[in-house]
Amino acid sequence: MKPAPFTYHRATSVEDAIAQLSDPDAMARPLAGGQSLVPMLNLRLAPVGRLVDLGRIDALKHAEDQGASIRYGALLTHAAFEDHRVPDGSNGLMPYIGGQIAYRAVRTRGTIGGAIALADPAADWLTTVVALEGEIAIAGAKGRRTVAAADFVIGPYMTALDEGEIIEAIIVPRRPAGERWGHYKATRKTGEYADSMAIALNDASSRKVRLVIGATEGAPLVMVKTAASCAQGASREQVAAVLHEELAASGRDFSPVKLHLHRTTALRALQQAGLS
Amino acid sequence: MGAELSRHTEGQGVGASVRRKEDRRYLNGEGEYVADIQVPGMAEVAFLRSPVAHGKIKSIEVPEAYRDQVFFAADINFTKPIVAVSAAKGFKASDYPALTSDKARFVGDLLAICIAPTRAEAEDIASACVIDFEELPAVWDIEVARKPDAPRVHDHWADNVYIETRIQTGDLDAVRKAAAVTVRKSLRMGRHAGVSMEGRGVLAHYDRRLDELVVHSSTQFPHVVRTIMAECLGISESKLRVIAPDVGGGFGPKNNFHPEELAIAALSMKLNRPLRWVEDRREHLVASPHAREHRYELCAYADAKGRILGLEAEVVVDAGAYSVWPWTASMEAGMSAGIMTGPYDIPVYHARAITVATNKSPLGPYRGVGRSGACFAIETLVDAVARAVNREPADVRIENMVRPEAMPYQSATHKLYDSGDYPECAKRAREAVDFAGVRARQARGEPDGRLIGLGMASYTEQSAHGTAEWVARGLPVVFGYEPALARFTPDGKLILFVGIQNHGQGLETTLAQVANQELGIPVADVIVRHGDSSVSPYGMGTFASRSMTMAGGAVSVACAALAEKIKRIGAHLLQAQVDAVTLANGRVHVGDQSVSFVEVAQAAFLHPERLPVGEDPALEVNAVYQPGRSTGAFSYATHACVVAVDAGTGHVEILDYVVCHDCGTMVNPMIVEAQVVGGVAQGLGTALYEEIPYDENGQPLASTFLDYTIPGPTEVPDVRVLHMETPSPHTRFGIKGMGEGGAIAPPAVVINAINDALRPLKVEIGETPATAERILHEIVAAQEARRP
Amino acid sequence: MKTTISLSINGKPRTVAVEPRMSLADLLREDLRLTATHLGCEQGVCGACTVLIDGEPARACIALAVTLDGAEVRTLEGLADDPLMSTLKAAFQDKHGLQCGFCTPGMLISSWDLLKRKGALSEAEIRVAMSGNLCRCTGYQGIVRSIKAAADQRPAEAQGAAR
Repeated sequence: MKPAPFTYHRATSVEDAIAQLSDPDAMARPLAGGQSLVPMLNLRLAPVGRLVDLGRIDALKHAEDQGASIRYGALLTHAAFEDHRVPDGSNGLMPYIGGQIAYRAVRTRGTIGGAIALADPAADWLTTVVALEGEIAIAGAKGRRTVAAADFVIGPYMTALDEGEIIEAIIVPRRPAGERWGHYKATRKTGEYADSMAIALNDASSRKVRLVIGATEGAPLVMVKTAASCAQGASREQVAAVLHEELAASGRDFSPVKLHLHRTTALRALQQAGLS
Repeated sequence: MGAELSRHTEGQGVGASVRRKEDRRYLNGEGEYVADIQVPGMAEVAFLRSPVAHGKIKSIEVPEAYRDQVFFAADINFTKPIVAVSAAKGFKASDYPALTSDKARFVGDLLAICIAPTRAEAEDIASACVIDFEELPAVWDIEVARKPDAPRVHDHWADNVYIETRIQTGDLDAVRKAAAVTVRKSLRMGRHAGVSMEGRGVLAHYDRRLDELVVHSSTQFPHVVRTIMAECLGISESKLRVIAPDVGGGFGPKNNFHPEELAIAALSMKLNRPLRWVEDRREHLVASPHAREHRYELCAYADAKGRILGLEAEVVVDAGAYSVWPWTASMEAGMSAGIMTGPYDIPVYHARAITVATNKSPLGPYRGVGRSGACFAIETLVDAVARAVNREPADVRIENMVRPEAMPYQSATHKLYDSGDYPECAKRAREAVDFAGVRARQARGEPDGRLIGLGMASYTEQSAHGTAEWVARGLPVVFGYEPALARFTPDGKLILFVGIQNHGQGLETTLAQVANQELGIPVADVIVRHGDSSVSPYGMGTFASRSMTMAGGAVSVACAALAEKIKRIGAHLLQAQVDAVTLANGRVHVGDQSVSFVEVAQAAFLHPERLPVGEDPALEVNAVYQPGRSTGAFSYATHACVVAVDAGTGHVEILDYVVCHDCGTMVNPMIVEAQVVGGVAQGLGTALYEEIPYDENGQPLASTFLDYTIPGPTEVPDVRVLHMETPSPHTRFGIKGMGEGGAIAPPAVVINAINDALRPLKVEIGETPATAERILHEIVAAQEARRP
Repeated sequence: MKTTISLSINGKPRTVAVEPRMSLADLLREDLRLTATHLGCEQGVCGACTVLIDGEPARACIALAVTLDGAEVRTLEGLADDPLMSTLKAAFQDKHGLQCGFCTPGMLISSWDLLKRKGALSEAEIRVAMSGNLCRCTGYQGIVRSIKAAADQRPAEAQGAAR
């Protein structure tokens, strides 16, 4: 199980990487931490002509506290969050998430930008950053742009990234200090990808609730109606009914089992966040 | 026996938890597995494997640049196909060629060998080959295979059935009339893989000086591989050396003669070039011999108290595309039906065992062969009988068991259970799991809403079966004995040359303990050599829970004879009477005088003039051991577990797991306990996680560790092991086999516990693995059915 | 086409030419003949190939060697004289933390890192922390007990605080 041959370019800067990736004949792909891409290469499931290694671009490895938000370089590892080596504005949710992705030996190399760019619906950061109302900073040949995390993913493994574009940073707004979070993930086994995951945020002072469900075979689902019913103090039964309806109306064609599972994780995340 | 055993032990003999001698090299990263070995000039191999399940091969196009690096069946046409033949009446044999040339019969079937300096380049070549198939409909499931108009996996067969056998003991009609309750059950046990952490691997090269082909293979039985490989290659066994170096787990899949072994050896011979193939994880999951895949139709007839009067069983096994050598495709179904009544005294038993061929990877032995399915069947059925008569399953289970006073006991399947107290074992497990406490906890309910369930399952396991059993099965090799050559060196160390293969069982330590038991030689002074057909006497290898009983017996016999000789020489050197001397601590003692084994060995090898008159020089003994009766030593156990089922996710957590078992005399309790625990972990994989389903095109749906889950540290609980020790009357020291047992009961005990937990929801699971998704599916289906 | 890289392996500087597709595991095993690092899945799941890259545990099967120019790699062979590793090895033997030995090097590297990073550890915490290392023989009980024993043998200050 060895990769097919490819060429290798060690990018020296974001601009260099973009130039390399923009060559339409090269079948070029960026390499971040490689924890998802290299297994795919080993299995010969990801055709690559040229691998553009982003790993030496220092500009992608810093976190910057911008006051109202924190800008995380795309190449920060899951372990950097787990170990609290970067500032946190999420009341501990991001360090928690960073610490439960896969396994330590994967977290030391896997990156937040790489994970989000891959857009595996069952992966952790995507749902987390959508829940936290983050933005994705994108750089490409045509310049730089920012996309709301909720709009970044178009479908399973499909993103707003155009040819030659890379994620430069993830910008996450600082959450209200009193906000509580809840997280529930259903997996086959510790460290595995989620079969369903949900994150709930509850800011009691402003009566604001946010609920996002991931591993939904597409972009994470932002459950606006369910969150609103929670914020209005609906009973657990009422919330469950709204949730059921909202999931059924999501257009995702869930099997009865998946529907049941997503309902479970969502209700447990809400409960953990101190709701219903 | 206890006093006798403690005679020479100094804490290192039979019964001592001696720390393992083999650990040092593994802990230093100095173990040597096939993939660690390089031979100068070696080429790496990637196999071109069939991507389709069933298809006539019309042509295979090889790019011009690679023409001399791709080899087909025609290039090794001097090899004979591997044909596993059973003497059972009506058995249909399959030709399993090293490389297939007419049609592919499963995804992963071998079509060609690609060689290159590196594995990556060899894979480049394989992926550049273009295969033109005439695709045939895939026989992808038992039901499909059994249809009268089904396509044939083997064209010349009349149907897709390898074999059907029957057992008919007692009068079923009388039992039907007498029964107060009749309980039926349909069960399915999924197909999965063996998943040793090291895959298979083969390295073949020619030794010019010795004029012999040397084949390294990650196998459990190197001598036997030599026999069949020589036959298939058309060479003499004297010109073939098979070495099993360190083997990174076996569990059964490495206990067959594989076409990959034949193909690599044949091509290496033909090219006169060292070739190495290392199985990768995808190949292992898709194309190594698979495990299980049973279906059961069961019917129990019982009286009003749940006493089982008679049992009817149909076992159908999907054995895949070819019959593995030497076991044949018939082994799973035959062994399952043959031990179905388990620890129970069920006088009337009628069974059909059917083995079908499909376009899937061949089925082979896996830890707990057949018995895991039999236990799953009978033990879930016993629970169902108990519920039908409104009693506790534990009580019904114990009341149906063979009583200790009935030993030795002849079962309805003609097995001779040698010894033990099955009801006592079950009672101890029930007590240890706190049966009453769990029932009370269930009544209270859990704060987190999860459902608690208690399960029990018992089995009896024929181990270390010898000549009679293997003859009865009609196999090409009768695995009836083991040899040991015990040889001192002139400096007083002892080397044991044995025909078993140690791949994690600790035999480099436990066989040394047996030597210590007989000779009083420190374990540190004993070296165990195995796994090399040119080093040790011909032996059968390690499988079927046989090595400690068989090779342990052989070492004991050889060392006992050595002990006599050492005593004679030692007594002579000490100027004492032979019957006055004792052996301990590597010395011959009389009173407060002693001579060391070094002095004895020096006399034996270097100074024959110091020997007693008439004593032959040298200090070595070759012995062969067969148990006193070859019908097997029966180990047995009861497993009990408590689970929590999360009805919101289908997730199962094992809260407690107890094993009470009896494997006769334990040579090393530390190792025994770890073998039990390791077996349980594998059984939990069968019960809850592991599965390779196939779609209707015969494509395997799990081919990586991303879609195939084996239990990790958080999925396996802390297993509590209770020991009973009833020595077998038939074996040296009373040892019974125990390597497989741990893996037998988990599917049964876990499913019983899950079903106990799910009773309030009126949901019952009858299939393994009971994945979270499968459980949730049943829960949701039951909810929908109840909805008005 | 090969690319030349320089890196430190077990404390020794090495300059090697590698194909871009070559994994660190294959470089170690095939070219440098350091075979303590085992390959169990080549997908980054089983943990048998776990090594230290710049002091942190990583999967050698999914680390491309070409990306490691200037890196410091340490394998089990390179921790032969390390006191904590010696403690772990002794504990693995005493608590029967291995059977076939194939997963063992990865288990040792991962647990070494765990004990360097973390203070006092319960068996439950050890299980979660070791969930990225698969073993097919032991059922993990012996492994968990070995790591717990080694963890408890560390000096009090090591048990109290993380690295």
